[in-house]
Amino acid sequence: MTDQLDTPVGAAGTPAAPTAPARRRRRRETGHASALSAVPWLIVPLLLIAGVVVYPAIALVQASLSDYSITGLRKGSAGFDNYTSIFQHDDLWTVLANTAVWVVVVVALTILIGLALAQFMAKDFRGRTLMRWAIIIPWAASLVITSRLFTLILDYEHGILNRLLVNLHLLGEPIDFLGDDSWVMPSMIGVGVFVSLPFTAYVLLAGLNAIPGDIVEAARVDGASPWKIYRHITLPLLRPALLVASVLNLIYVFNSFPVIYTLNDRNPGFSHDTSITYSYKLAFKAAERSVGMSAAMGVVNVLLILVVVLIYLRIIRWREVTQA
Amino acid sequence: MNRRTQALTVGLTGLALTLAACGGGTGGGDAEGDSGKVDSIKLVAAEYSDETAGFWQSFAKTYEEKTGIKLEVQVVSWDDIDQQSSTMIQNGNPPDILNLNAYASYAQDDLLYSADDVLSDSVKSDLLPNFVTSGTYEGKLYGMPDLSSARALFYNKKLFEDAGIDAAPTTWDEFAADAKKIADLGDGTAGYAEPLGPEEAQAEFSIWMFNNGGNWKTDGRWTINSAENVETLSFLKKLADDGLTQNNPGKTNRTDGAFADFAAGKAGMVVGFSPLAATLDEAGKVDYGVAPMPTNNGDEPKSYGVTDYLMAFKKDGNADAIKAFYDLYYQPDQVNTFIENEGFLPVTTSGVEKFSSNEDLKVYLDTLTGVQLTPTDDPKWDTVKLAVQQEIGAAVGPDGDPKAVLDDLQEQAESGS
Repeated sequence: MTDQLDTPVGAAGTPAAPTAPARRRRRRETGHASALSAVPWLIVPLLLIAGVVVYPAIALVQASLSDYSITGLRKGSAGFDNYTSIFQHDDLWTVLANTAVWVVVVVALTILIGLALAQFMAKDFRGRTLMRWAIIIPWAASLVITSRLFTLILDYEHGILNRLLVNLHLLGEPIDFLGDDSWVMPSMIGVGVFVSLPFTAYVLLAGLNAIPGDIVEAARVDGASPWKIYRHITLPLLRPALLVASVLNLIYVFNSFPVIYTLNDRNPGFSHDTSITYSYKLAFKAAERSVGMSAAMGVVNVLLILVVVLIYLRIIRWREVTQA
Repeated sequence: MNRRTQALTVGLTGLALTLAACGGGTGGGDAEGDSGKVDSIKLVAAEYSDETAGFWQSFAKTYEEKTGIKLEVQVVSWDDIDQQSSTMIQNGNPPDILNLNAYASYAQDDLLYSADDVLSDSVKSDLLPNFVTSGTYEGKLYGMPDLSSARALFYNKKLFEDAGIDAAPTTWDEFAADAKKIADLGDGTAGYAEPLGPEEAQAEFSIWMFNNGGNWKTDGRWTINSAENVETLSFLKKLADDGLTQNNPGKTNRTDGAFADFAAGKAGMVVGFSPLAATLDEAGKVDYGVAPMPTNNGDEPKSYGVTDYLMAFKKDGNADAIKAFYDLYYQPDQVNTFIENEGFLPVTTSGVEKFSSNEDLKVYLDTLTGVQLTPTDDPKWDTVKLAVQQEIGAAVGPDGDPKAVLDDLQEQAESGS
């Protein structure tokens, strides 16, 4: 490769350079060869995409159109019966409403708190490194373990949070965070925000660090107040980072399974499920026990998340942002 | 050229890797062509405790030494085993032997060998009759019991003393009165820890239902909403309404809820079984007694029994290997070791004899021959059980309606069967 690169440079005026037609032919040959030699390298990613994305997607759609017995045996085609059963299911609308609340509230809170955290982390203060580590640790821990820990923390009888609140006389009686219907969703949202924060804060911190210091400095010299600087300079320049953080969070929070599944595990029925845990329970935990219905819900989920992300991008006019 | 070959190799390797990943082959049970024999079989076993994997590994070693057939062992947690087994079957790649708590749906789908094909007569005659009955679908034995448990009433001796109670209750009236005395001790103490959450609500309801003369099925017909059962569920709801149970019994699971409360000394009574006794003994915190369940109709106390099953999937040439597996498993030194390790109860006559000298197990063993089980021989039960787990807890909530819940479950059980 190196000699091919060197040739045009050396040809700039040295008499030893090859004649023009020879050079052109040679260049065409090498271009051809390198395109060909790239093919095997493309095969691997293409096969990976086929295996990891396309094949499961086809299998999912196939499963959603099939009739399975409770043991997992395929009995034949079901047509669109699985879809009809889902849309006639009493709990579908509860589940969709839960999903909407879960996604909107968790993403909104995560972004807001993430912004504050990033701002804080960007400041230079003693112990900043320690704080940065402390914030990233929840991200490094497995979601299942974190969720399991929270079921212990929030436990009615033995949980540390209730003990603390009762012993400090902030509460007269403990709260059943994970059993009391009005508390289940807020508790899950709290944990959801907790586990989404590290990633979000770091994306926003990277965005903050990319803002040139001299612009802010210039504004300050011109006498702009900190709030004005934040609103008119920092936030607009942070839009690409905010976009990345919110779109990834939308997808991540929508698909979040362990938090809801683990924290909600002692509540019967579907009253606190989102569409992801609903889909799992349909296959393995609920009386339906239908792989077909579960797959159909899986397809609906994929479409839902696509629609949600497209609408979001539309709302925030992503073209302007990416061109800015 | 050299470089191109190299690139091609890389590409092909990638292809092979991808295909291997797609196939997700779990291996095992490859037929060896002409001879129609297999050189390895695969066992998927549920994980009862930390001891489970160790037992099956040493079992596999003995099995290989005896038969020359390799036994692949995969131990799966109870949380995942339904999912894993049904995924394997969905992919057309079931294990040769599966250890699970349900078999009838598999038998209905014609996936299993019956005892006629794979069980020796000597083994079959050693199995306890009521477990043979529960493992029989349409006249043939498909579910081979691997171990069993029986439930009994655990009570906290210290709390009983504090509340001035001398003996375990024998009637429901006494039970409710005792629970009240304990709850009145205050300090968040529950008279009775009542787990009707989704983990195992069918077990909690079963033992109460049996001791009121009720049942899930009577003479082959579903009787979930019988008058006795409505009375039973109403009694359980009244315990909750009167504040004699822990908070939110309809949303309390057994292992990390009711058992945890009892083990922490926060509950006067709980329905438990021998593994709970083992846990309590190890912790040494709670001085407990074990008594037969109180009854509501003056009958002999009934116990609720559970057995799990080994079932074998029909595949070309694996019948002999499976027969050898069962022959070895039901050898007293194997099956009884397994049961002893896990702290459960035997499923064979020879096992009952062996354990009869164990004082701790006496209270369960006495009930084992007369124990009542859920209708696991009906494939419909596999879905009814899930419906019960998801719905029955609602009946004991503040706005719960026991009759309506049981009517709904009855309707689900009758539909399509």
